[in-house]
Amino acid sequence: MVQDMGGQVRIGAGSGFWGDALDPAVELLERGNLDYMSMDYLAELTMALLQRQKLKDPQKGYIPDLPTHMRALLPLANASGTRLVCNGGGANPRAAAERIRELARELGLGGMRIAVVEGDDLLGALDDMLGSGAAFENMDTGETNLAGIRNRIVAANAYTDSSAIQAALAEGADVVIAGRVSDNALYVGPLMHEFGWRYEDAYTDRIAAAITIGHVVECAAATTGGMSSRFDEMPDMGRVGFPIVEFDADGTAVVTKLEGTGGRVDAFTVKEHLTYEIGDPKQYLMPDGIADFTTVRIEEVGKDRVRLSNMTGHPRPERLKLVIGYEDGWVGEGMLFFPWPYALERAEKARETLLQRFERLGLKADQMHFDLVGVDMLHGPASPRPDYDPSEVGLRVAVHTEDRAEAEKVRRACSQLWIMGPGGTSFGAPQKARPVFGLWPTLVSRDLVRQTTDILEA
Amino acid sequence: MPLLRDIAYVRSGDKGDVISVGVIAKSPEDYPTLLRSVTPAAVKALMGDWVKGEVEVHPMDNIEAVVVLMRNALGGGATRTLRLDQTGKALGNGLLRLTVVEEGAGA
Repeated sequence: MVQDMGGQVRIGAGSGFWGDALDPAVELLERGNLDYMSMDYLAELTMALLQRQKLKDPQKGYIPDLPTHMRALLPLANASGTRLVCNGGGANPRAAAERIRELARELGLGGMRIAVVEGDDLLGALDDMLGSGAAFENMDTGETNLAGIRNRIVAANAYTDSSAIQAALAEGADVVIAGRVSDNALYVGPLMHEFGWRYEDAYTDRIAAAITIGHVVECAAATTGGMSSRFDEMPDMGRVGFPIVEFDADGTAVVTKLEGTGGRVDAFTVKEHLTYEIGDPKQYLMPDGIADFTTVRIEEVGKDRVRLSNMTGHPRPERLKLVIGYEDGWVGEGMLFFPWPYALERAEKARETLLQRFERLGLKADQMHFDLVGVDMLHGPASPRPDYDPSEVGLRVAVHTEDRAEAEKVRRACSQLWIMGPGGTSFGAPQKARPVFGLWPTLVSRDLVRQTTDILEA
Repeated sequence: MPLLRDIAYVRSGDKGDVISVGVIAKSPEDYPTLLRSVTPAAVKALMGDWVKGEVEVHPMDNIEAVVVLMRNALGGGATRTLRLDQTGKALGNGLLRLTVVEEGAGA
């Protein structure tokens, strides 16, 4: 049996992705009475983008918004005694932490302790691992020929657990700047640190509860009314409040938000997010443990208050997820729009004309995709063909090519349709070709990943 | 004929080339109907060649929901797909087009 130390930890969700709003995070620090605020900035694609920025400038590679965010948040966190935990270090946590230390000094916050968490970046170690026989099978496709794309690889980051975050907090960090720790570890770390939980059988369900709660709140507004199917029942979404977790030592928690903010927290907003972007709900695999989402009890216990209990799970997996990002050609795309009457027929004629233009321009594409905007772009084959004459229809084309010049031909062909196309053809600004990153998700042995913690004092 | 839209809510997203869709009964009474209506075969038939891999349906009795996993369903994954809906956020709602299978109907 676990000896409960008692007590409660209050954690706010300060960011759900790179590009999220700052004002709800400011409100959380002003009136949330938080112990911690956790901020997630990374998506699967982000690491490859940030690695490229770091290649161009070794002082970059972290989330560009981070200094702006921290300038607003550091004084408030300092005043309220809230510790900040984020993965905004991206591909360069050390440069980010050095920048934040400088910022703390500028703001007169001398003595503030900024922790750097590193060790997720395996790009430099990849060749050694491949050399010693690591297979790195692609979890999506089953492919094993990683060597075939080796010269195009730009990033390789392991989704690490919260152990280094716990170590940083034990060393008195006021702000933790990590790289590709799992989004979830930003929540599990503070809870394991505060309650003294270890990776032992007795704590497995507690850690699973922390993982579950982390999952429920890590996308911030997504659990307070954002992304909701009941969008029409969500008040003041432009002033939405981000979620707060009140986590008790016994492994139960209440999810809530600040009074007077927009959105809502009810059993449905929590259920909606519990099911979001997961695999088998019996086995939600995270580096800190495995949560079983099929035992959770969800109950409304007040206005904008939902209690989660009976959370269970299994010990942490032996291997960690490793995502390898590589340069994977170019995409060229374009859109044209057509008016009633006969909007659909005009779009179909334009598709035929575009195909002829591609042929004339000698476009070399290895993949081509057409959508009828307003008809089948979002649901594809599941969309019924309209049995009426729609007010307007768009034509979208996207192609994948090996190089940029080929992808740019799409823009040229779409522009040519301004006059070659059916009467009434209208258009927005033509789109530039964009580079593509492929992702190769695989697994890596935990022993090959060593996280480190370093404290920088302002 | 009632559609899944009338008895369920949806939230969807991506994991690599997999689209994951949470389908939640609007009320506990709707849950058995939801379970009858959301089957791998029905989902495959609806989504046609946009879903190239297997479809799995995982029930969550505790919250009256199912998680539908559609494999090789995103044209190579969010970064690589040629679709506008790069993360499958909109495609999940497509499942609400499924026809509801009433009690006692068919197998």
